[in-house]
Amino acid sequence: MVFCDFDPQLMRLNFFRQSFIENSKLGGLNSKESQMERRLFIKQVLIMGGGIAMLPSCMRDSGKSSIALDNLDVSLEQEKLLAEVSETIIPATDTPGAKELNLHLFVLKMLDDLYEKEDQKLFMKGLGDFADSAKDKYSKSFQELAVPQKQEFLLAIEQDKQAPPAIAKFYEIMKGRTIGGYLNSKYVMTNLIKWELVPGRYNGYFPVKAA
Amino acid sequence: MSNINTDNKKANTYDVIVIGSGISGGWAAKEFTEKGLKTLVLERGRDVQHIRDYPTTNKYPYEFEHRGEPALAIQKENPIASRCYIFREDAMHFVVKDNEHPYVQEKPFDWIRGYQVGGKSLLWARQTQRWSDFDFEGPARDGFAVDWPIRYKDIAPWYSHVEKFAGISGNKDGLAELPDGEFLPGFPLNAVEDYFKGFVKSKYPNRHVISARCAHLSKPNQIHLDQGRAKCQNRILCQRGCPFGGYFSSNASTLPWAAKTGNLTLRPFSVVESVIYDDKQGKATGVRVIDANTKQEMEFYAKIIFVNAAAINTNLILLNSKSSRFPNGLGNDSGYLGKFVAFHNYSARISAEYDGLKQFGTDGRNPAGGGYIPRFRNVFKQETDFKRGYAAGFSAYRSSNRDTSGVGEKLKNNILNPELGPWRVGSHMMGETIPKESNYVSLNGNKKDNWGIPLLNISVDYDENDRLMKKDYIAEMSQMFDEAGFKNIEVNDKSQAPGLDIHEMGGVRMGNDPKTSILNKWNQVHACPNVFVTDGACMTSTSCQNPSLTYMALTARAVDYAVKSLNRYEV
Repeated sequence: MVFCDFDPQLMRLNFFRQSFIENSKLGGLNSKESQMERRLFIKQVLIMGGGIAMLPSCMRDSGKSSIALDNLDVSLEQEKLLAEVSETIIPATDTPGAKELNLHLFVLKMLDDLYEKEDQKLFMKGLGDFADSAKDKYSKSFQELAVPQKQEFLLAIEQDKQAPPAIAKFYEIMKGRTIGGYLNSKYVMTNLIKWELVPGRYNGYFPVKAA
Repeated sequence: MSNINTDNKKANTYDVIVIGSGISGGWAAKEFTEKGLKTLVLERGRDVQHIRDYPTTNKYPYEFEHRGEPALAIQKENPIASRCYIFREDAMHFVVKDNEHPYVQEKPFDWIRGYQVGGKSLLWARQTQRWSDFDFEGPARDGFAVDWPIRYKDIAPWYSHVEKFAGISGNKDGLAELPDGEFLPGFPLNAVEDYFKGFVKSKYPNRHVISARCAHLSKPNQIHLDQGRAKCQNRILCQRGCPFGGYFSSNASTLPWAAKTGNLTLRPFSVVESVIYDDKQGKATGVRVIDANTKQEMEFYAKIIFVNAAAINTNLILLNSKSSRFPNGLGNDSGYLGKFVAFHNYSARISAEYDGLKQFGTDGRNPAGGGYIPRFRNVFKQETDFKRGYAAGFSAYRSSNRDTSGVGEKLKNNILNPELGPWRVGSHMMGETIPKESNYVSLNGNKKDNWGIPLLNISVDYDENDRLMKKDYIAEMSQMFDEAGFKNIEVNDKSQAPGLDIHEMGGVRMGNDPKTSILNKWNQVHACPNVFVTDGACMTSTSCQNPSLTYMALTARAVDYAVKSLNRYEV
């Protein structure tokens, strides 16, 4: 954490900002050039609010992820699994859950653009190991499990201090970014915890219930 | 042919040229145009018009592609810019990218720049404190640099002049070491900031926690409404540019004001290569400009030239302005041009928790950022083993505990309904550094930029005085925190390179003696009286106040003098 000049508010907002800066060169991209160009084009025409470019089915390889990714190679099957994991973390109740808010796609978007190659690899390996491990344990795929079993399986990873590094990294990124994406989603920011663009006030003695 | 050249020369001739449109250049433009002088403002970057060119100003957090975090590839391409808190998705378009404008770091120096109309005035932290004679008399009293050629009484009316127009919020605190100004109502401290203020006052009579004074319109006067600006709306999204004009910037204030006079010509994409000195006439006649896009060279002429290119670039331009009269850079008879560069030491911060006053939180946002602790060390007498001292920020906020353990409905409920936690308090140091000949900038003999201008070598570092001062800040502030009942005190003294404070100063310092300084008491180059420097480059010493207000006041004062001299045919 470094900081410049005097702006405590901003410094605070950025307090948890992670530093990814290293001198190492950015590794080569794993997509083919033509695919890159096509995706770039699609990105330019199809950026949704929140910056995730959705690919219509007619323009994507069958079996591929539904969003434009520069670095990751994610199958539709994997994407569906991620949706189930995110939905288990933040389920639909009387308000929308992770799947409806496309938080699994948000996680992929962040993983694709903000993480080192090693972390991306670890995440993808962790995703595979996660699926295998669920099958080993329940003789069913994670998607097929009942909600309590899904929760139990995730909690076991969360609480296992000796979890294998790939699964641990997968879970850490998946959970952290799902929560972050949720709290920063349009739905939450406009309906549940309202973020004000123009507060127009400051009260330094705002009465609250003493905790 | 000669006629065409004459016409061309005439078309490119103004009364005044101002190099740079940032916080001081904007003021030069306003003052000159108001006094009826045809003024050309040259800006090396693109145009940024108030409101129209603030593309992110009304965006919600979820409208940013990565919710604010710059993509990893961008961070890797910009290790320097990425270290600045401004370099986020909402404002990174206002920050110079590393590879566009390289420089040579003889020692690590994070040079944060804003190349656009308005410069860094769009991005600044808006803290505005006056200097006092405890600051102006510092070098003479404590034996470093050279004596400032001015005292508080010389600049006080100009502080008032710029404060009234810019709009400065603050309280009349009655402190000799931090003179009161022309204030709009101050922003209030919160419950814990007030508590600490009261505690410090009772225990340390010479130490004060005040509401930070800042360039925000807490309650606009007519002069601010006349500028098209409105009351600050507590958004704290300032670095995006403010659609209300709630804080002071060249873009919202001085430049449109200057434009209204009809005397302003603003030319973006104009990289100034050098100031032209005419040996026969014995004065500067204009500036050589390279168009940033076409790379076409051109010249502009004027009777008076103000160099406000931002501290380090002002040094670069003068060093690169070579003539037979000034082979080592314009005005550089002393050999001191580019030397005695200094900055502010921002390399320590302290945070803690406070368990009391839990009946309060805060609501809305405070544009002032909280409290300010004026320098209390070595003010009235020398009392430590280091020279000078530091100011400190102090702010508090009510934390919330978001329980993110587990999964499912319980987790969802927990993160949507965080429990209030203790108050969190924080402070950071703003230390004066001593200008030294060994802290310098110079022209690189080999490397040039895309416009054929030599790159700058920057060689600036901390010294033993800085280390001792930092140790003292940590000890004193920790003790005050402890005595105030703050718990879990954490010190972060991870060093940061000079430059990241964005308070680089000096290199073209003011002084009485032409043998040891470049500028006189009117910010006028001793040896070339129609060239003035009124940005951070002119600073003889740095004290520890945020410097922009002083640049504004020095600029308005210098313009007044320049115009009077012009009327007396002295320049």
